[in-house]
Amino acid sequence: MEMLAQFGRSLVPPRLAAWVDRQASPIVFALVTLFVIVLLLGAVTTDNFLTIFNLKTIIRDAALVGIMGIGLTFVTLSGNFFLLSMKETAALCIITFAMGMSHGYGFELSLLATLIVAVVAGGVQGLLIGLGGNPIVVTLGAAGMFYGIASWWSDNLVISFRRPNDAEWLGTGSFLGLPNITVAFILIAVVAEIVLRYTDFGRKVYLIGANRAAARATGHENLPMAIKVCIIASVCAGFVAVAFAAQISSAQANYFSSEFGSSGDMTILVIATVMVGGNSIMGGYGSTLRTSLGAIFISVIDNMMVLRGFNSGPRVLAVGLMIVFSIVVFSLARRGSRAQE
Amino acid sequence: MDTILKLTGISRSFGAIAALDGVDFEIGRGEVMGLVGENGAGKSTLVKIISGFDDGYTGTYEFEGHPTRFHSPGVAEQAGIAIAQQELSLIPAMSVAENVFLAGHNVQAVATKRSLAARARRFLDEVGLTDIDATVRVDRLSIGEQHLVEVARLIAHDPKVLILDEPTAALGESDSIRILNMVKKLAAAGKSIIYVSHRLDEIFKITDRITVLRDGESQRPRKAAELNVNSLVELMLGRKLENMFPERAARDRRDLLLSVRDLWPDGMLESVSFDVYGGEILGLAGQLGSGTGEILAAMAGSHRTRSGMIDFGGETFLPRNPAAAIRRKLGYCSDDRKYDGLFLGRPIRENLTSPALESVSRFGWNFGGREQQVAYDLAEKFTVDVSRLSAEAGVLSGGNQQKVALGKWLSISPKVILVNEPTRGVDVGAKAEIYQKMRNLADEGAAIVFASTDMQEITYLPDRVITFYRGMQIGGFELAGITTAGILKDITDPFNETNL
Amino acid sequence: MNGHLSLADRLKNRVVENPDLSFAVLLAVIVYGYFAATNDLFMTHNTTFAIMERFAVLGLVALALTLCIIAGEIDLSIGSNAALTAVIVVRFNDQLGTFTALAIGLVVSTTIGVIQGYFVAYLRVRAIVLTVGTLMLLRGVALFVAQEKTVMLTEFDVPDFIQTKMLAYFSPASFLVIAVFILVGIFMAYTKYGREIYAVGGARKEALAAGVNLKRPMIIVFSISGFCAGLGGAIIGLRSGTAQALGLQYLLLAGTVAAFIGGVSILGGKGGVIGAAIGTLTVNFLNTGLVFNVTPAYQVQLYLGILLIIVIMFQTGSRIFDARQRRKAVLAAVDERKVALLTKKRQVLAT
Repeated sequence: MEMLAQFGRSLVPPRLAAWVDRQASPIVFALVTLFVIVLLLGAVTTDNFLTIFNLKTIIRDAALVGIMGIGLTFVTLSGNFFLLSMKETAALCIITFAMGMSHGYGFELSLLATLIVAVVAGGVQGLLIGLGGNPIVVTLGAAGMFYGIASWWSDNLVISFRRPNDAEWLGTGSFLGLPNITVAFILIAVVAEIVLRYTDFGRKVYLIGANRAAARATGHENLPMAIKVCIIASVCAGFVAVAFAAQISSAQANYFSSEFGSSGDMTILVIATVMVGGNSIMGGYGSTLRTSLGAIFISVIDNMMVLRGFNSGPRVLAVGLMIVFSIVVFSLARRGSRAQE
Repeated sequence: MDTILKLTGISRSFGAIAALDGVDFEIGRGEVMGLVGENGAGKSTLVKIISGFDDGYTGTYEFEGHPTRFHSPGVAEQAGIAIAQQELSLIPAMSVAENVFLAGHNVQAVATKRSLAARARRFLDEVGLTDIDATVRVDRLSIGEQHLVEVARLIAHDPKVLILDEPTAALGESDSIRILNMVKKLAAAGKSIIYVSHRLDEIFKITDRITVLRDGESQRPRKAAELNVNSLVELMLGRKLENMFPERAARDRRDLLLSVRDLWPDGMLESVSFDVYGGEILGLAGQLGSGTGEILAAMAGSHRTRSGMIDFGGETFLPRNPAAAIRRKLGYCSDDRKYDGLFLGRPIRENLTSPALESVSRFGWNFGGREQQVAYDLAEKFTVDVSRLSAEAGVLSGGNQQKVALGKWLSISPKVILVNEPTRGVDVGAKAEIYQKMRNLADEGAAIVFASTDMQEITYLPDRVITFYRGMQIGGFELAGITTAGILKDITDPFNETNL
Repeated sequence: MNGHLSLADRLKNRVVENPDLSFAVLLAVIVYGYFAATNDLFMTHNTTFAIMERFAVLGLVALALTLCIIAGEIDLSIGSNAALTAVIVVRFNDQLGTFTALAIGLVVSTTIGVIQGYFVAYLRVRAIVLTVGTLMLLRGVALFVAQEKTVMLTEFDVPDFIQTKMLAYFSPASFLVIAVFILVGIFMAYTKYGREIYAVGGARKEALAAGVNLKRPMIIVFSISGFCAGLGGAIIGLRSGTAQALGLQYLLLAGTVAAFIGGVSILGGKGGVIGAAIGTLTVNFLNTGLVFNVTPAYQVQLYLGILLIIVIMFQTGSRIFDARQRRKAVLAAVDERKVALLTKKRQVLAT
């Protein structure tokens, strides 16, 4: 047990090691190390897993959910919990974009309109949350409304726009050998991490999330922050919507409601990527890097299952199991470190 | 006298800090024992040990004649030792009776609100709540009555020893009297009460004997009848006064820096007005409930205020929120650093720069260099270990935490610093350091306004003192005119209602 | 006690003391009234029967969510749990007989609840975080049990039975659900376990400080949630004769809206079984009414969202009003003391 823990300890970044070290039992470290071993074994024994093509596929599959997860992470880190309306914001945005494209307004104008819609959607929710509304309830209500508006506007029909069009490059093009969507994911992940680490805004996110009362006492109020982070999350949802529409040159309000990816409900998946990375739901602790890794991690599991020929049942089961597992591990670790206070 | 609880040679250390060093404590059946001491003397540590919240001590603990050691508060409670903490643990939305029977062993499984109320009647009567309707929501009662309900809950478990930790700290006069009457009744019924309080007048009203703790050591218990306020205070403070406090000398009155004009924070009985001068340390003296904390918070935009203004920096205004106060170079530290004075999970460096992010960043970008430098300087100024700036603030000792909570305000180059309880939960060594820092800051031209219930501190630190009593401004003292006796009189009994 | 209050006065007191519940009733009446007025077919016996049938399933889910939210948590996996039980019951109905299949399904769903409750208490993890994972996990299990297919019944004796009309509006299913409501209602209002649940929800820090063990209320709440989810899923499965592993996800949203309409607060500690019932009825009125008006399914979500916003606005307004009243009372008390003490002060300082 100790050897296992030691081995694991030597591999992880020092901050993480110190953090895990602080808890009473070595169980967590042993669990994690065990899990990593299993993962590596799986990677090595699964045909076609360790190929460049497959690794690229993994990241591409993680991209859409990952981008939304990164946006949501800002909300979570600032202590404003979750937005349960990202799926529906995406639906509203995809309809907006498709409407613009199909009526001939062109890529730039449609994108602008979508951006405006996303900003308003996020801003309104952020305002209500910042004024004291509970995020779960506000975003639940907003979700219903956004989806209703999206469906009503499109009469619940598929809206398609002619190919070729000037949006295609986003969905189907590639850059330096990687699909554009993957490039976007990497770019957004890097930018988000930089913002969080090296800007005043990022620092405020952490401070307000770590202790709202102390943040207020040092002059940082939650109201403007809630608005900003909700806008960030909504814009990410909007971006994903546009990218998705660009891929298939069509849109329908329920694109994001039905089977998305292979593991199901998008809202849950996005929240899962944030949690799996180990971000604290209470805020103030974590990073978008963790979320990106969380998205990739989920994609890895799913990918491995697919390569091994499993049907959707076991795949969903495996992903769900991994999510629960990582939540349990992070809770155990946090529980231990909290006991030291 | 029949001794029911006896602790001998109790020592407890946290890291390098010895909170208790060879403390003896005892109490007899049916006795009311007062436990007094300054902040940091070790009262809460001792009380936690007695009630089973802390079992990491050395020494002997005898209960009812048998050596014992309680490993959890639950076990202690079952043995018959119960504690009523300063913070209430009542469920606001539930009825009085439901709260009395919350989490009990001998509670009925099925009961209506009314049947619970009937069963609770007995215990409510015992604590003096005879005409309270036990089916009423507990948050409709006054704070004093709520404290009594909390004790009623403890009584329902039939304890032999009851510990009351600052039971009247947040109470007004009539509610305090109810608590005192309840204590008398319980003692007459054979229960032993450990009464921990800062309110010396109450100590003298109801205790049989008094145990004084000072810097982690105990004095032998003395009969209350053999002491008076002055001799008790002398026992509590000891002789270390001279070393702790930096010298204050008569200074030429510097410029008027800030004027409080008819400020009326919620909770005060009337508005207050006073001036603050550059280069001085001004102390606001008053017990809990006097309003000193509320005044400071109101000046900083952190507390609801009915009316009033501040003249400061050429402006007349009232800050609507802390950010507004900070913009004008007004810093404020509340009395609860864990709640809003520190970001416990963030590095110390980030704590130190938190009120002044713009000063360590350029166009919003912060790559750490300037911040490191600023934090380093601040830490040095307040003698916080500069090699550990990346460590989380939560790992620091109480004294160092307070230094960080205070020191961070230097990052905004403040003209006035407001502090509530500057050395709460701080060990003696750090206290002296903090006092010196405060003096240094004042000497550089800033003004420091602090509120404190620590008698030593309020007597020997400030250049001027203003006294408050139950939400009213009473009077003031200056320099050599500041005496403990004078202050005590103003803050406990300015209208000559009792004879001490 | 005061003298005899008239019925009207007592009713008025009740309304003022329970603003959220009263508002819920008002809302229910308005929604019902609207559809009854605008559609002739709405106020018929058959419609009421249909509403009660809907109530049977959504009511259980709303009840479960109400309890979870009262306890300060939420069970996001309730839809998946229900779907899993539906799949189990439908799949094994033909082989093992309805009652055995039902028993297995309920045991499974309740056990899942027990485990989740235990984890929440032991790991001190927020249920909302844990159930994000279990939601997906249970879907996987359901897919596995259903073998990726839609399972169907071939024998319809029991399903027909549970749908038989009794007393014009009810069926064995809805009677059963009403019985569950009554039992849980008594449990929550009159037992110390129910009170513990309210305590850990509304004032967790205080409750723990007072010595309440978190494990018991959490396990109780989540096992009830699991049981209700299972029963609801079983009823739907048997009624429609089919079950899909990925179905029943709408129950979470509809159930949450019903719970909030019924007066729960996201902060916990508030709400009750009666509220859950009224909230469910309101949502059912809305659903059924909209179906009558041939409203497309997506619009139903829109109206549900609007309903939720209205309820939240009311609750927020009521909370602000309460806070303002309390501040006034505090200031008034201060003013009282002030008169007494200030006169004293003036006397003393004048001498």
